[in-house]
Amino acid sequence: MNVIEINQLTKYYGKHRGIENVTFSVEEGEIFGFIGPNGAGKSTTIRALLSLIHPTSGSATIFGKDCIKYGSELRRDIGYLPSEVFYYEHMKVLEVLKYSASFYDDVDYTRIQTLADVMDLDLTKRIDDLSYGNKKKVGIIQGLLHEPKLIILDEPTGGLDPLMQQNFFDLIRTENKKGATVLFSSHILSEVQKLCGRVAIIKDGTIVKIENIRDMQKHNYKKFTLEYKGVIDVHHFNLDGITNLTLEENTLHFLFKGDINRIIERLQGQALLNFLVEEPSLEEIFMHYYQKED
Amino acid sequence: MNILKQELRMGKKALIIWCLSLAGILVLFMLIYPSISSQLEDFQKVFKSFPIEFQRALGIADLQLNTILSYYQFPFTYILLAGAVQAMNMGVAVISSEVREKTGDFLFVKPVTRNRIISMKILAVLVQILITNAFVFVAALITVTILSAEPYNVKLFVLITSSLLFIQIFFASLGLFVSAFLRRIRTVLPISMGVVFIFYIIFLLNETLKDEKLGLISPFGYFDLSELSKTMNYDSLYLLLWFVLVGLFIFLTFRLFARKDLPSI
Repeated sequence: MNVIEINQLTKYYGKHRGIENVTFSVEEGEIFGFIGPNGAGKSTTIRALLSLIHPTSGSATIFGKDCIKYGSELRRDIGYLPSEVFYYEHMKVLEVLKYSASFYDDVDYTRIQTLADVMDLDLTKRIDDLSYGNKKKVGIIQGLLHEPKLIILDEPTGGLDPLMQQNFFDLIRTENKKGATVLFSSHILSEVQKLCGRVAIIKDGTIVKIENIRDMQKHNYKKFTLEYKGVIDVHHFNLDGITNLTLEENTLHFLFKGDINRIIERLQGQALLNFLVEEPSLEEIFMHYYQKED
Repeated sequence: MNILKQELRMGKKALIIWCLSLAGILVLFMLIYPSISSQLEDFQKVFKSFPIEFQRALGIADLQLNTILSYYQFPFTYILLAGAVQAMNMGVAVISSEVREKTGDFLFVKPVTRNRIISMKILAVLVQILITNAFVFVAALITVTILSAEPYNVKLFVLITSSLLFIQIFFASLGLFVSAFLRRIRTVLPISMGVVFIFYIIFLLNETLKDEKLGLISPFGYFDLSELSKTMNYDSLYLLLWFVLVGLFIFLTFRLFARKDLPSI
């Protein structure tokens, strides 16, 4: 069963594009990654799902029901963590969490303390005394408190230190094992790779690709930088699997997907000054997806 | 009910300050009455020597200063003005603060409809207006009763004092409509001060012009205190207009907010 089904969803802010014809679905029980650079439309899609904004055209359903029409009913089973968290400044953490809980039926209030212990959060502090990371923790707890069936996370790890990120990922995995479906939006490929089964890649408001993480890792791109002593023969690297080949004076850059040994073979007997193999940035992978589109 | 409770808790401090200052100013002004009541006849003579347009602009053309209630109108005009600012502040801020303080992403993803959130917020404003009015009413009643040497017209006192409630409800609903209409409101006070004073200036201007159509524009004219003491009742046409406008503003607030996009942070 599909928990989320998005169909040709389009949102324009006046003439300004938000998203265009976004279509994908999230199955029950999966952790679905949603990646793209800043401003690609991740938040716009999520905000439409939560009926914070009204789509220009297209539709989206959650648990089979239209997300605008049945918004308030559906939101009972959704836990949402916004990318930037803001709460009523003069309230204490515990007060905010209790206020949040008061909107749902049958909330287990002991979970507040349990979750606060896991995330190492002081419940007696005032919101305006909290750091960015600690506010994020409040967000995580209020999003998970009512044990939602669908968890929507919009860039959740910003501000969290690595240890807390780990605790947070564990929390998400636990909720997922209990049956919750997760939509995880991020611009950091590595954290999505850690957690998600499938990903949708969005750029400039449109979905570029929907892929299995395992398949993606299979075509694992490497970024090569070669600095030559003498003159470079570019034709030497006229190989299948090489993209984004650029030449600056005596430095050669390219992305490569495939058996690395084939590159090593080509390097035999070459006089190199420097040799770098790196993980490509998300941007570079996106560039690649773009070229494929053309 | 949790939203209502939350709103009242957040507005508590401002409400206490407003109640104390409104009642305080009124009481302070009234305390001057005994010391000048013997000279009021002379004051009136001086006023009557002013040109008639000037008298009208000051709202003293029909003034009879021989009773405590005719004096009471004076400070109460300023209470109306300040009360209008307070009510409009609440009206503009109550919903727009969720956008300004960026807490909308918290409240509007809760399992409640937008209409319910707005109803609860309007209710919270209404409760705060009622508390303000009750407080001012009691403070005024005690002060006037103590200071008045002879019995005074209770009906007129109630009419004058209750006009605050009508004025506040009007400006609160206008504020709600403004907040629904504008995309993003950065600061509240300049908007409410501006709007209230423009309406007050229109009212003052019309006191000299006495133009009927212009009179329809300003709510301060609907509850003209110097008219009240002559007719001993609210003007039914103005009351109807007040009712229609308040209803329209509230309706449009619901209507506009139902379709509104919450700007992302």
